[in-house]
Amino acid sequence: MKLLDRRVVLVTGKGGVGKTTISALIALRAARAGKRVLLCETSGVTQVPALFRVAGRGYDPVEVAPRLHTLSITSEAAIEDYVVMQLHFRRLYKLVFRNRVVGPFIDAVPGLHDLIQLGKVFDLERTQLGGRPAWDLIVVDAPATGHGLTMLASPRAMMELTIAGPFHDNARDIAALFEDHARTALVLVSLPEDMPLKETEELYQRLGPLREAVHGLVLNEVHPAPVPDPALYRTLAPTLRERADEAGREALAIADAALLRTGRQDDARRRLQALGPKVVDVPFLYRRDLGPTDLSGLLPAVEAL
Amino acid sequence: MSARVLICCGSGGVGKTTTSAALAIRLARSGARVAVLTIDPARRLADALSVGDIGNTAFLVPLPDLPPGASLHAMMLDSKRTFDDVVERFSGSSDARDRILRNHYYRFVSTRLAGSHEYMAMEKLYELSESGDYDIVVLDTPPSRHALDFLAAPEKMANLMDEGVMRWLVLPASRGGWRMIEKGSEILAKVLRTMLGDRTIMDIAEFFSAFQSLWEGFRQRSLDVRALLRSPDTRFLLVTTPAPGARAEALHFLDVLQRSKMPFGGFLINRCAVAPTRAGPPSFGPRPPAVSEADWKALVDALAAVPERRRGLVAAQDAAIAELRAHAPGAAPIWRIPEMDEEVHDLAGLDRVARHLPDHASLAEVRP
Repeated sequence: MKLLDRRVVLVTGKGGVGKTTISALIALRAARAGKRVLLCETSGVTQVPALFRVAGRGYDPVEVAPRLHTLSITSEAAIEDYVVMQLHFRRLYKLVFRNRVVGPFIDAVPGLHDLIQLGKVFDLERTQLGGRPAWDLIVVDAPATGHGLTMLASPRAMMELTIAGPFHDNARDIAALFEDHARTALVLVSLPEDMPLKETEELYQRLGPLREAVHGLVLNEVHPAPVPDPALYRTLAPTLRERADEAGREALAIADAALLRTGRQDDARRRLQALGPKVVDVPFLYRRDLGPTDLSGLLPAVEAL
Repeated sequence: MSARVLICCGSGGVGKTTTSAALAIRLARSGARVAVLTIDPARRLADALSVGDIGNTAFLVPLPDLPPGASLHAMMLDSKRTFDDVVERFSGSSDARDRILRNHYYRFVSTRLAGSHEYMAMEKLYELSESGDYDIVVLDTPPSRHALDFLAAPEKMANLMDEGVMRWLVLPASRGGWRMIEKGSEILAKVLRTMLGDRTIMDIAEFFSAFQSLWEGFRQRSLDVRALLRSPDTRFLLVTTPAPGARAEALHFLDVLQRSKMPFGGFLINRCAVAPTRAGPPSFGPRPPAVSEADWKALVDALAAVPERRRGLVAAQDAAIAELRAHAPGAAPIWRIPEMDEEVHDLAGLDRVARHLPDHASLAEVRP
């Protein structure tokens, strides 16, 4: 089954591996293929509009490219949404959740926030517009690995906590969407470094039945080899070192280190490939602020996903 | 005055666990008794220290050539066990303890919910720093989004433990119904019951009722932890890299630290590229006869571009570091750790990183 034929794509991985960039690439690719796409951020830090050089942040969808909208799901706003939907009365929300006594209590049920965020994605998936789903594809820039796993487990956890009641039933419906491989796919992002790889491997093992939902693995920030023909370079390196001047020897030392890195990248790719799902490389760009041009340039890298 | 608690924050993927461990080594090497605690559920610190499993007890790291009196212990948090220990410590009676440990809601809170790690990390941090066994405790926090929860954990706990909340929640268990203190609270109770179900409400009420006896101890402890975070002996260190991916989270982190008035101790910047020292175009001698003209030209052109590309990288990196510094309060010091040729996964590697990190004296100098 194709990635873009799913209803929801969840992108997760260790913190700092570039989940937001990869999510944006997948969303942009789907939008260019003619789909109406919604890209949801969940970290509370709004980064996507800036990636597309569009002003705006927050809970209402902003259009950042043709057919591509983005929004940031904060648990506070999602809780309000959820409760208002359940109680049909905004004043009640304020009464209950802004209440001096209950507020801290609700806050201290930490798993609730995760579930509510997933619940918002669930609602967006069901939203209809003119007799058909408002969004063809929803891409979720999910929290980092450990926490992402907690979030995915939150519907089941809430079902266990509540045993029965509307909260329980809601959690069951939410779990049904995210556990259905035909509708939901997972993409795991990693870096060619030992710790992120270990975490990806661990996450993959810990996913349990959700493992089948993993559609692909992304090896992000892959550096190019410093020379066009590494094999030739390795053969010539001793001679080159002998004949080079001081600046030349320094250049060779930097090239050697870069080649070591390329070797580690190859090992990393093999480790990911050993897990099973397909692996794609996304090249490293040294830019403080990635922009739309950079994203377009990176787009071919996720074509194979 | 010494910096007794060092909290290493930062987004994931910046080498925080490795850096925390290396910092702990550096401090032990400068003569201190050090403990390093990680609250990340992943067993990363254990990997970095190559000590296998770390349980909830401090494990002595076999670090060679330490000065007399110095030591390094490592620990990975087992939050369920820590929570049980807390219940054990503050329970007035064994009956109250058993009622809590058996409660459905407690079992859930202490194991399954995200956030209990944060609560318990604070508890463990406090315990370690008060034990008298260590001069310095280094804490490796989970990735930044978690770490925000972590900063708020004692506050949340203290709020939750507020007596008003307790009385309110305990009422149904003690009087067999929801009698409310505040105006409008009947609707409120109805809403909660509708959402969570009667059974859950009863579990929660039972839990809080049993918890009453360890109430005061728990509340006091969360206030103590809150005080510890803002103590003059505590420093927050931001671990990051100059790479673009780490930027947003590092800036966000600085904001949060400043907003919550946490004492900032400086930056530990990993994977810094080092600029070439030789100016001018490099030369590699004449073409070896075995190599074709075209191959030679391609190779030499690529190699000649290497130092220039590195200079560009270093310039971008310096700009990144300058941006961070501009966001930091006061004159925050910066420690740069050069990019290593090999990944660090043993004590020797950690020692190589440790050379670039601050010792006890230079950290104590930093005035937030």
